[in-house]
Amino acid sequence: MTVEALSPMAAPVAAPIARNRPLRRALASPLTMIGLVLVVFHLFLALFAPLIAPYSISAILTDGLTPPSADYWLGTDQIGRDYLSRLMSGGRVALLVALTGVSGSIVIGTLFGLVAGYVGGWLDDVIMRLTDALMAIPELLLIAILVLTFGKEIWSLSLIVGIVYTPGVIRVVRAKTITIAALDFVRAAELRGEWLSFILMREITPNLLGLLAVEFAIRCSSAILKISALSFLGLGISQPTPDWGLMVQEAMSVVFTDPWFLILPAITLSSLIIGINFAVDGLARAYGVTGTETDL
Amino acid sequence: MSAHVKIKGLTITYRDDDGNEMVAVREATIQLARGETLGVVGESGSGKSTLARALLAHTRPGARFAAGTVHLGGTDVLALKDAALRRYRGGRAAMVPQNPLSSLTPHMTIGAQLEELVRLHTDLTGKTVREHALSLMERTGLPEPEMLAKRYPHEISGGQRQRVVIAAALVSKPELIVLDEPTTALDKTVEAKVLQMVADVQKELGATLIYVSHDLNVIRALCSRIVVMKDGIVIEQGDADRVFRAPKNEYTKSLIKAIPQIDVEGPFPPEANSCDQLLVKDLRFFYHRPSGWPFLRPAETRPTLDGLSFSLKKGETLGLVGESGSGKSTVASLIAGAVSGHQGLITLDGDTISGAAKKRSRGMRRRIQMVFQDPLSSLNPAHTIEEILVRPLRHHFGLTPSAARDKAVEALRDMELGPEFLSRRPRQLSGGQQQRVGFARALAAEPDLLICDEVTSALDVTIQSNMLALFLRIQRERAMTCIFISHDLAVIARVSHRIAVLEKGQLREIGDRDTVLHHPASDYTRRLLAAASCHVPDGNQAAGFPRSLSA
Repeated sequence: MTVEALSPMAAPVAAPIARNRPLRRALASPLTMIGLVLVVFHLFLALFAPLIAPYSISAILTDGLTPPSADYWLGTDQIGRDYLSRLMSGGRVALLVALTGVSGSIVIGTLFGLVAGYVGGWLDDVIMRLTDALMAIPELLLIAILVLTFGKEIWSLSLIVGIVYTPGVIRVVRAKTITIAALDFVRAAELRGEWLSFILMREITPNLLGLLAVEFAIRCSSAILKISALSFLGLGISQPTPDWGLMVQEAMSVVFTDPWFLILPAITLSSLIIGINFAVDGLARAYGVTGTETDL
Repeated sequence: MSAHVKIKGLTITYRDDDGNEMVAVREATIQLARGETLGVVGESGSGKSTLARALLAHTRPGARFAAGTVHLGGTDVLALKDAALRRYRGGRAAMVPQNPLSSLTPHMTIGAQLEELVRLHTDLTGKTVREHALSLMERTGLPEPEMLAKRYPHEISGGQRQRVVIAAALVSKPELIVLDEPTTALDKTVEAKVLQMVADVQKELGATLIYVSHDLNVIRALCSRIVVMKDGIVIEQGDADRVFRAPKNEYTKSLIKAIPQIDVEGPFPPEANSCDQLLVKDLRFFYHRPSGWPFLRPAETRPTLDGLSFSLKKGETLGLVGESGSGKSTVASLIAGAVSGHQGLITLDGDTISGAAKKRSRGMRRRIQMVFQDPLSSLNPAHTIEEILVRPLRHHFGLTPSAARDKAVEALRDMELGPEFLSRRPRQLSGGQQQRVGFARALAAEPDLLICDEVTSALDVTIQSNMLALFLRIQRERAMTCIFISHDLAVIARVSHRIAVLEKGQLREIGDRDTVLHHPASDYTRRLLAAASCHVPDGNQAAGFPRSLSA
């Protein structure tokens, strides 16, 4: 640098913008790439399974259990339905329930978390004690009670997922909000006399987006697992809708004679969960979202 | 003279986020005799800390030693491995890092931490371990070592913490002590005492000392030799006196010129017959400690501000100086409306100011503007500079988006920034540029009173110097009334017409700049001035500071 550039009144010249390509960096990691491919694959299946599946999910084609054959690539299940077609559709309901439920919990949780973290005082106390109370109930017990109350429809399962996941989102958002609210740009907005809604939605929320994206993905993967567990226990999705958890449960009786009926849905379920987790890991690191304090 | 520390052609590189190899230190070659004191100066990002760490064969994660050697008393430091390296670190060479709080374990008492190090680095056992630890604490000037040893790091002051960390570095009487900005976070009076202590200990041990700092005054007071770094390159080195008296490199010259000094010319005087604009009378303030029980009144604590009175004429800058905890930032927060609940009177042009900003009139909020200490935290990282500047303009003046944008460009130009900055985000700006945007936002509201809270303390010296020059120009052009808060008397001396000295919430002294600086009335002011001027390079070292022992 020359002396002129350092002389007291020299105008600083805008340095060229530092190229920041987090997405490219994320894709450079093989694990993230694998994760993204798996997620995209499963989303594609969930959307188009009925169109590309060889048979209808409910059509009874044989007399009962048959091994894989040229007609039925993965065989048919106990009552003679094509296993491949059912496997392809097995994630649809779980994904739908997880996506709507978790979206709801993110929206509601963010609102409450923002208010609790920024406004503080007795409002914070009330919101947080209620949150604690909800979190104190063992999760599976809470879900069981809610299922018995609301039923096993798609909408009610989504509602239940929303209720179960909201407290966690509130906690995470509140913690981050408290950190952000201590920064001077929030002070500047307050000194300007901005409305509460402006400070929450325009000053604080944009800084939460990375965190919320990660929260969303991680909680989705957890919700899918939970729904599968529920179906396995008979509290979730029920016949004739195909579901991986349900399929694992059905396969329990034939696990020693025809183990692939158990292994295949287990693998598809795991591949989706692992895919989401790999993708989130890589993206979160690339975009610098850390300390999500996700308690799963 | 055989070299004690020998760094030869040392190059340290690291990988950036895109995987490119970047050079942090380029071919540094430095030699030091035993007992010499070397100051490494440079601005942030110049590679000075990286160089200092290399003496302990340490790099930050992701960095590596690409070339060159480091020798200490004949030992090839970079070739040390495992056990040998562990014995070397803390044994023959010790490091004092910048932030004492993060280098002490919060869950252990001071005494326990020191004793652990004594056991690790010496052969002492049993009772002698504790005795050695206590003697180290005494040596570093910690009061009542027995009592202090039982405390946890968060229970002692910043200055004491730094002394503890220095004591930890002295456990095994190292032959090389590396100090990385050890006093940057301390108040000036505390800093002066810690430096004196370091100088005494160094003399006693006859150790070689390497002191990294961005503060040339500190380096000058302590060191016999100087290395100036910029962009990873050693651009000048030599005898401290020579470098200060006759710097060869242009950058060194500009660094030395930018050193804040108390003996500077003050700002251009305001109009003689202007009237009082801001009046503060008998200002008192308590922070409330929450009682922990609902409906129970919170307890009042010691007053943060205790009966402050002062007035400010139009076009005048009042420098508010004091150490951390003196309440100077509370004054700013009360006047700006960031905190509420004071007793006493504050008026601006005769209008009484009270309560938090939310309760004030829109006009009043516009008339008082504030610039914050940390430029990055004062700008929303999720917004562009355009959003940051346009919002206040629309809010205060109800401008249309395009008119607000035009005014934002104007505000940037006033701060000597081009319109291309509008589309940038805060993180893409340097610290100095961020602070200019902070000023632009405050000034765009056309305030009657501008409050600057430590606005230059986060900046490097040359940038600080530019910032102050810019402030002086704007203040004069607009004949603005300002309160300028700083812990640094040299900064205050440059910008203030009048100076107020604050200690423990009380006004120790207020008066004209020259009177306060040259004929201080209170002891406290004299102490502050002494602490600040023990580093002032007037050619003579302050008594008690060692020169090179081998020279």
